[in-house]
Amino acid sequence: MSKSFDVVVIGAGTGGYVAAIRASQLGKTVAVVEKQSALGGTCLIWGCIPTKALLEHAHALKVIQQASEWGVTIPSGTPAINMTQVHARKDKIVDGLTKGIAFLFKKNKITWIKGTARLAGPGKVVVFEGDTQTLEAKEIVIATGSSPRSVPAVTIEHTRIITSDEAIHLKEVPKSLVIMGSGAVGVEFASIYRRFGSEVTIIELVNRLVPVEDEAVATELEKSFKKQGITVLTGTKVTKATSTPSGVTIEAQTPDGKTQTISADMLLVATGRGPVTTGLGAEEAGIKIERGYIKVDELYRTSVPGVSAVGDVITLGIGVHPQLAHVSSMEGIITAERIAGKAVQPINYDHVPGCTYCDPEIGSVGLTEARARERGHDVRIGTFPFGVLGRARMAGELEGFVKIVADRKYDEVLGVHMIGPRSTELVAEAVLALRLECTVEELIKTIHAHPTFSEAVGEAAHAAHGAAIHM
Amino acid sequence: MPTPVLMPQMGESIAEGTIVRWIKKVGDAVDRDEPLFEISTDKVDAEIPAPAAGVLTEIKVKEGETVAVNSVVATIGTSSEVSGQEPEAPPAPPPVAPSRDAVVPADVLDQPHEKTAAPQRKTNGRSATASKPVEDDSRKQRSSPLVRRIARDNDVDISQIHGSGLGGRVTKSDILEYIDTGTRDSGPGAREDQESRGPRIFEPGSRIPDPGARVEIKPLSVMRKKIAEHMVMSRRTSAHVHSVFHVNFSTVERVRQQKKAEFEQSGVKLTYMAFIAKAAVSALRKFPIVNASLDGDNVIYKKDINLGIAVALESGLIVPVIKHADEKNLLGLSRAIADVANRARSKQLKPEEVHDGTFTITNPGQFGSQFGMPIINQPQVAILGIGTIEKRPIVIDDAIAIRTMAYLTLGYDHRLVDGATGDQFMAEIKEQIEHFDAERL
Repeated sequence: MSKSFDVVVIGAGTGGYVAAIRASQLGKTVAVVEKQSALGGTCLIWGCIPTKALLEHAHALKVIQQASEWGVTIPSGTPAINMTQVHARKDKIVDGLTKGIAFLFKKNKITWIKGTARLAGPGKVVVFEGDTQTLEAKEIVIATGSSPRSVPAVTIEHTRIITSDEAIHLKEVPKSLVIMGSGAVGVEFASIYRRFGSEVTIIELVNRLVPVEDEAVATELEKSFKKQGITVLTGTKVTKATSTPSGVTIEAQTPDGKTQTISADMLLVATGRGPVTTGLGAEEAGIKIERGYIKVDELYRTSVPGVSAVGDVITLGIGVHPQLAHVSSMEGIITAERIAGKAVQPINYDHVPGCTYCDPEIGSVGLTEARARERGHDVRIGTFPFGVLGRARMAGELEGFVKIVADRKYDEVLGVHMIGPRSTELVAEAVLALRLECTVEELIKTIHAHPTFSEAVGEAAHAAHGAAIHM
Repeated sequence: MPTPVLMPQMGESIAEGTIVRWIKKVGDAVDRDEPLFEISTDKVDAEIPAPAAGVLTEIKVKEGETVAVNSVVATIGTSSEVSGQEPEAPPAPPPVAPSRDAVVPADVLDQPHEKTAAPQRKTNGRSATASKPVEDDSRKQRSSPLVRRIARDNDVDISQIHGSGLGGRVTKSDILEYIDTGTRDSGPGAREDQESRGPRIFEPGSRIPDPGARVEIKPLSVMRKKIAEHMVMSRRTSAHVHSVFHVNFSTVERVRQQKKAEFEQSGVKLTYMAFIAKAAVSALRKFPIVNASLDGDNVIYKKDINLGIAVALESGLIVPVIKHADEKNLLGLSRAIADVANRARSKQLKPEEVHDGTFTITNPGQFGSQFGMPIINQPQVAILGIGTIEKRPIVIDDAIAIRTMAYLTLGYDHRLVDGATGDQFMAEIKEQIEHFDAERL
C-alpha cells in the first residue's frame, strides 16, 4: 500500500522538521521519515540542546564556586556536581523539546513515519521498519544531517575513545579527558568537563584554537583556557590512539616534530561531522554527490528534479557549508517556500552567525580580519574589551572583547567577532547590522543601553572610527 | 545568388527587433513580398515580407531571439544552394528606410486626466528633459546605510537602481553592479545618451513584491515596453496642454446617412472618422505649425500631411499612418482608414506604414469616453482626440435642441503651439465639421 503526499521530508532534524512545518503552513500535505524514536535530530537529541544544558550546569557550578566572592555562604564544604541529577535535568529539557516538535507536527497535520528512508525512483520513498512501505511524493526533501567523524589514525570504540554522542551522557566525570579538535564541539566539552573537574587537554592540528574564528578571538580563548587549567596543544597531530581497560594512550606529534605520549581516561574525538547518506540510495537515484555530501544549487535543488536537500548533508560546491542548526532551518524554510511556489532568495552565507558556548563564549558573524584582507578590503578594526564596562564588572565577567572588522572605503561592517559574556546573544545585533548592510557610522549612532554588555558593540564601533569613549 | 534577409528598422530610435515567429521554414519556397516572418519591435507586431523570391535556405535567428536592426536573420537562395553559405551580395535594403519618427501611440486611456493650465515654456527643452527624471515621483527607494554611502561617494542616484533585495531594497551588490556595468548615467554626456535611448520605464518606486505576496509577475511584451517608454518619453519631452471643443456633428450625420449606401457600393463604410480626418487635414493646411515638429532650435514644417490613426489592439496600440492624407478625398480617406485599421489588427502592416506621421488622431470615444487627454505622438506636436459621438441636448437660439454632438480634444506641445493657435486650429476643425460641404466629397 502506498501513501501519497505533496512533500516527503527525510529526517526530522532542524532542517527537516522546519521544512515540514513551513510546507504544511503553505498548504502542502507533508510526511516526515525519521528513524530515531524522537524528533529533533542532532540538535535536540545530541547536539545544541544537551551540550548547552551541560554548559549551563557548568556555569551554575562556576558561580557557586565563586560564592565567597559574592558573599554567599555555602555551609558544607566544596560545591560538587552530581552527574545523575545533571543528566536528569538535561534529559528532561531534551524530552520536553522533542515532544514540542511532536506537538507541532500534530498541530500542522504532519505525518511522522518512523523508519529508514530509501529513494526508490522518481517521487517514491521506501521506508523500512517492520513492514516496508512506499510513499509517493511530489517533492522530496533530504535532511538526513551528519554524524561525528573520526580521522584515519583514530578508531572510535565509543567507551574510551568517544564522540560527542557519548560525551553528553557520561555517567561520571572523567578524571582526565583529551579532546581532539578545537572547533565548537571540542572547546565546549573542554569548558564543560574542565568545570566539572576533569584534567582537560585539547589537541588541535592547526596552530590555534577555534580555527574558523578570528585570530584575536582564538588568542583570547587560549589565554582564558590556560588560566582555567586547560592544556592547549596547538599545531599538534594525533598519530595514534589506543584504548586500554583503564584508559587511553595517545601519541601526538608536537610542532617541534617530537612525539608526545599522553595518557587519559578518555579521548573525545571532535574533528568534525560527516554527511549521513547510508541506505538513502542517493547516488543510485542519480543525485550528484561531492565528497560524500549531496550537491545542491543555491536554492537547495539536487541534480534530480523534485529532490531537494538541506542542512548538514549538503554541499553548495563553494567553500565549506556551515553545519549549524540555524542554517539548516533557514534552508528548510527556503526550500519549503520554493516548493510551495513562493519567491525565495538564496542565503548569504557571509551573514550566518556562529555561536560557541565555551567559557568565555564566542559570537561572530561575517568576515574575520584575515579573510577580509584576503578579499582585498582596506580593513580597519575596532576593538573594545568587556572588562571596562560597568555591567561586566557587576557580573564579574571581565574577559573578552568585541572586535569590528570594517572596510575603510565605504565604512561597511564586514564582520563582528566577540568573545566574552553574553556574546552568543550580543551577536544578534551584529547579524542584523550585516543583513541590513550597516555602516560603522550607523552602529555608532545606534543607542546602546546602559549599563549593558551591548555597550561594547557601540564602543567597538567608535574604536573603529578612531577612539572609543570609555578607553 | 543568395539574398540576405535583414531585421528591418522600424524607426530611428529603434535599435533591435524580436523574431516572434517564422512563417516559412528552411527549404520553403518563397515569393518576393510573401510574408516570411513575424517581428515584434516598437509597437508593431508585423509580418515581414521576403525581399526576394527563392528558397529560404537558412534561418540565423531563432524565434524569440532579439537582434539589432539590419542584422541578417535569414538567407534566401535557390533550392540548390546549401544552407550556411555566406551572403556575398551587399545587403539588400531593409524593407523599410529609417525614419525620424518614433512611433508613439496616442494612448488616451491610461493617462492622468489633468489639464496643464499654464504650462511652463521650457526655453531649453533638451536640458530640461535631461534633468533628473520625474523628481516628484522619486519615492524613496529602499536601500541600506552602506548603499547610501556608496551612492554618495560615487554620485549615484539610488532611485535609478533596480533593487534585488527583499521588498525591492537596493543592496550593496545591486549598486556595485550598477556602477561596474556603467549602466548609470554619470556626467552630461551620459545623460544625453540616456535621453536618446529613451527614459526608463521603471520609475523609482518600482518594487519586487515581498515573497509570498499574492501577485503574478509577467515580463512586459516588446510592444508594451516600447509603448511605456514612448509614453513617458513624450510626457517628458513636450509641454502638454489640451483644448476641448464641443462639436455639433448633425450635419455630418445627415451627410453620412445620405452617402452611406453610395459608399458601401464602393466597398467602404463611411465613418465619422473620415469626416474628422478630412476636417483635420483642412485645419492642418491652414495652421502648418500644428503639422510641424521641434528639433533643438529649429522648427521643422512638414510639407506632407501624414495622418496617424491610433488603433487599439488586444496587446497594445498601434498608429498606422495614412501618407499624403491631404491628397485624398472623403472616399479615399475612408478606404485608407479602414484598410490600415484592418491590417493593424491582423498584423499585416508594413513597417513603413507606422512612421512618418505628422499628426495623429485617436478615438477614445469608441469605448464611451466623453473626451480624452491624449499624449502627443513624438516628434509630432499635436494629437486630436475624439470623444464619444452621441445625441445631447444643446441650446440653439435659446431653445433646447437634440443634436449629435462630440467633444474633440487637441493635445498639443506648448513649446511650439500657443493656446491661441491651438484653439484657432480647433475652431477651424469645428467649423469644417459643423458646416460640412457635401459638395466637397
